[in-house]
Amino acid sequence: MTALSSVSFKTPQLVARIIRSVIGIIVVVWAAMRIYNVLFVNQAYGLDTWVRFGITGLIIGGMYALIAIGYTLVYGILGMINFAHGEVMMIGTFGGYFVLEALAAIPAPTLANPDLNFLNAQPLLSILLAFLAGTLAASLMGYLLEKIAYRPLRNAPRLAPLISAIGASIFLQNAVQLLFSPQLRDYTNPDALARGTGWSIEIAGSQVLVTYTGVLSFVLSILLMVGLYVLVQKTRIGRAMRAVAQDKKTAALMGVDVDAVISQTFIISGALAGAAGVMWGIHNGLVYYFLGFIPGIKAFTAAVLGGIGNIPGAMLGGLVLGLVESIGPAALGIDFQLKDVIAFLILVLVLIFRPSGLLGAASVEEKL
Amino acid sequence: MKLQESSFRSGLRSGTTLALILMFLVLIGFNASGAALLARLFGQTTLSGQLPPAIFGIVFIALLAVGQGISSALASRRRNAARPWVSSFAAAGLAGLALAVFILVMGSLYQNGADFRKTLYALSPAYIKFLTVDQMPIVGAAISLAVMLLAGGLAGLAAIYLPFGTYWQRVKTMFVRFWNLDGSRSLRANRYFKFGLYAVLVLMCFFVPRVWGSYWNYVFGLVGIYVLLGLGLNIIVGLSGQLVLGYVAFFAIGAYSVALLNAPIPHNLMWGFWAAVVIGILLAALSGFLIGLPLMRLRGDYLAIVTMGFGEIIRVLLKSDLLTSFTGGPRGVQDIRGPSLFGQSFSSDIDFMYLIILAVALALFIASRLQNSRVGRSWIAIREDETVAQASGVNTTRYKLLALALGAAFAGLGGVLFAARNQFTGPEDHVLMVSINVLSLVIVGGMGSVPGVVLGAFALKGLPEILRELANYRLLAFGALLVIMMIARPQGLWPVGRPSLQRKEAPDSPTENDKPNQEAPNG
Repeated sequence: MTALSSVSFKTPQLVARIIRSVIGIIVVVWAAMRIYNVLFVNQAYGLDTWVRFGITGLIIGGMYALIAIGYTLVYGILGMINFAHGEVMMIGTFGGYFVLEALAAIPAPTLANPDLNFLNAQPLLSILLAFLAGTLAASLMGYLLEKIAYRPLRNAPRLAPLISAIGASIFLQNAVQLLFSPQLRDYTNPDALARGTGWSIEIAGSQVLVTYTGVLSFVLSILLMVGLYVLVQKTRIGRAMRAVAQDKKTAALMGVDVDAVISQTFIISGALAGAAGVMWGIHNGLVYYFLGFIPGIKAFTAAVLGGIGNIPGAMLGGLVLGLVESIGPAALGIDFQLKDVIAFLILVLVLIFRPSGLLGAASVEEKL
Repeated sequence: MKLQESSFRSGLRSGTTLALILMFLVLIGFNASGAALLARLFGQTTLSGQLPPAIFGIVFIALLAVGQGISSALASRRRNAARPWVSSFAAAGLAGLALAVFILVMGSLYQNGADFRKTLYALSPAYIKFLTVDQMPIVGAAISLAVMLLAGGLAGLAAIYLPFGTYWQRVKTMFVRFWNLDGSRSLRANRYFKFGLYAVLVLMCFFVPRVWGSYWNYVFGLVGIYVLLGLGLNIIVGLSGQLVLGYVAFFAIGAYSVALLNAPIPHNLMWGFWAAVVIGILLAALSGFLIGLPLMRLRGDYLAIVTMGFGEIIRVLLKSDLLTSFTGGPRGVQDIRGPSLFGQSFSSDIDFMYLIILAVALALFIASRLQNSRVGRSWIAIREDETVAQASGVNTTRYKLLALALGAAFAGLGGVLFAARNQFTGPEDHVLMVSINVLSLVIVGGMGSVPGVVLGAFALKGLPEILRELANYRLLAFGALLVIMMIARPQGLWPVGRPSLQRKEAPDSPTENDKPNQEAPNG
């Protein structure tokens, strides 16, 4: 009798596990066959093309990593998914956009070139100002978001903050749309950093373009990641953040101002997202109200891929996701339209098979 | 120290919030739309793309100030501050001042030919003229400031010194007394009375769609479809507590099953609408079950994100060239044939309204029966605490899968009706926003509450059609509503009454008597 009941109790789990394994095997075998086909049978792409895909992937991956860090920091501390993080990044893109537009409107004539504007006269300073503005706008947004939409729900049931975050995300998208119009606008770059210009390297007999904007984005994102790592590991703020992430109550007893630390976390993650947003604008060249959604979801995928709550994991996850997304469609021999599907599939597969991600965060299994 | 805060200071504090909100509303052009809505109340229609008479803009800001004045006066009185009406004047005055400065600056700039529409989309010259009440900027600013200050302050004075509060209390007690009168109770419990009520309802459902024309049939048909979707998602989210954000995937499966089975292009199968209904429901339920199987380990926000991923995958796949030959690709499927009954075509807007009413009635019946059944109680147990439910002998996996499959089946039915009624479906009908709309209506109505779903569908799908001047702001309001509901009223507009533990000991406790009555109209 007991044996019977225990069997009927376990059967669904067993079925689920079998189904999981079957799905996994099918996916792996299918992917391996496609990759083998593309690499050795068709040989559709030369080495130069693969390098091009790789460069694109690293550049986009750096941005994903910066945004993913925001998800991971907030998840580590509050245990919630900041669904509106993509919108914070979008606000950052807009902040940079308006500064660049304003600088382009300031005349700075020289004798040689009477039509020169400030943007082209001081490209480095302009870009710096744009990044500063985007970062500031996004961190302010992150701070306000936490204060208005999440803080009152600190002790609410688990789903409440997520729903509030979804609401905030919709609100921000539409507020930006109503304020600044729904149209797509071109990001104004200085001429020295025009999109599509860069160094060209010769690989396998053909030219591969490494764009200036791409290099700027990638270098800056690596620098910011290193900076964040130092901040979290070596400074007082970072120590407080780690303490709060481990145990809010005990941290409070040790004299850590938990509310302040949470605000700081949102400000820092907002700043990183804002920087990523300005990179997105400078490198991809379009700014509109809905732009934060897809990078937001992708970066969340990256954070989950690396192990949510784990900062190096988010960095690794972002770079890996960027690479997989740009190389994946070609390697699997499928349509490039489906690159979003690859990202979502990775998300689904990681959550089904290895919810703790690549590097793994200790407590995720309990939190699931 | 906050307890001793003076009325003036607290007024300034709440006035700052109002000023910020007002500035935001002005910048997104909401003043014109709000004024157009007021103008329609007074029988003046405003053509789209035009602005209503400026006087309604003044009425609109006066109303805002009145609301703020009353609320800050009452808040100050609750804190026992001296002269609470001072806070109304302070709050409304500060907000009015902000508006006046804005009008003065913008009005002067625009008089000199400035145009900020490239940056701030809403600020057309006509809108600025509307804000300055068609006067000189300085006059317009002064009018706005004076109106807000006076309206807010006087409203605060009225709220403090006129006994509105007692009137409101009296009406409330009268209503409660009437509701609890023996006569009204026994009337509501009377079988013939109930029967008569149902008969009136049925007759209304029969005649109203014939009378009110195709526009309202369209609007209320949409509300009905969203009631269906809401009831389904309510089973998944409200009862079994699994936050699913990819609900639109099941809707899409329903819509595409009628589209592919019953349209000339791409397959020309023409199996008929009724077969498509059955197949759509079954396919949706099956996919709910299959998607659910590998996800049973996931809880809470992870489940939400994964299901959202599924929904997006389905949409991207529908849009891609990969499936164009099978699903019609980005252009969707046109000319879906509607239902026919006994050889007659049954697909006018009135017929569809009947069909939707029938489906909604059926769904309401099933949903409310399920909720009060053994299955429903298991779902609620899982929602409250999955581990405890499992320990108490609830087979959580089975019941969660059942909830997913049933909820998906409702969505499948909704999708079939939606696609057949529009005679078209395409990838853009199945965006994430649909899932979020349905989720919002479930939350606004009250998670787990069947009448709440109906109320939420009317509020979120019917109301925007009635307040069509504000259509542009619908999603903005959605987002704000979700946040505000979570903070201020997480239980929703029409929350479920919890089954009382003292039922048997106290047979005439109010919960006992209110509960069946609340749910009677659904059956």
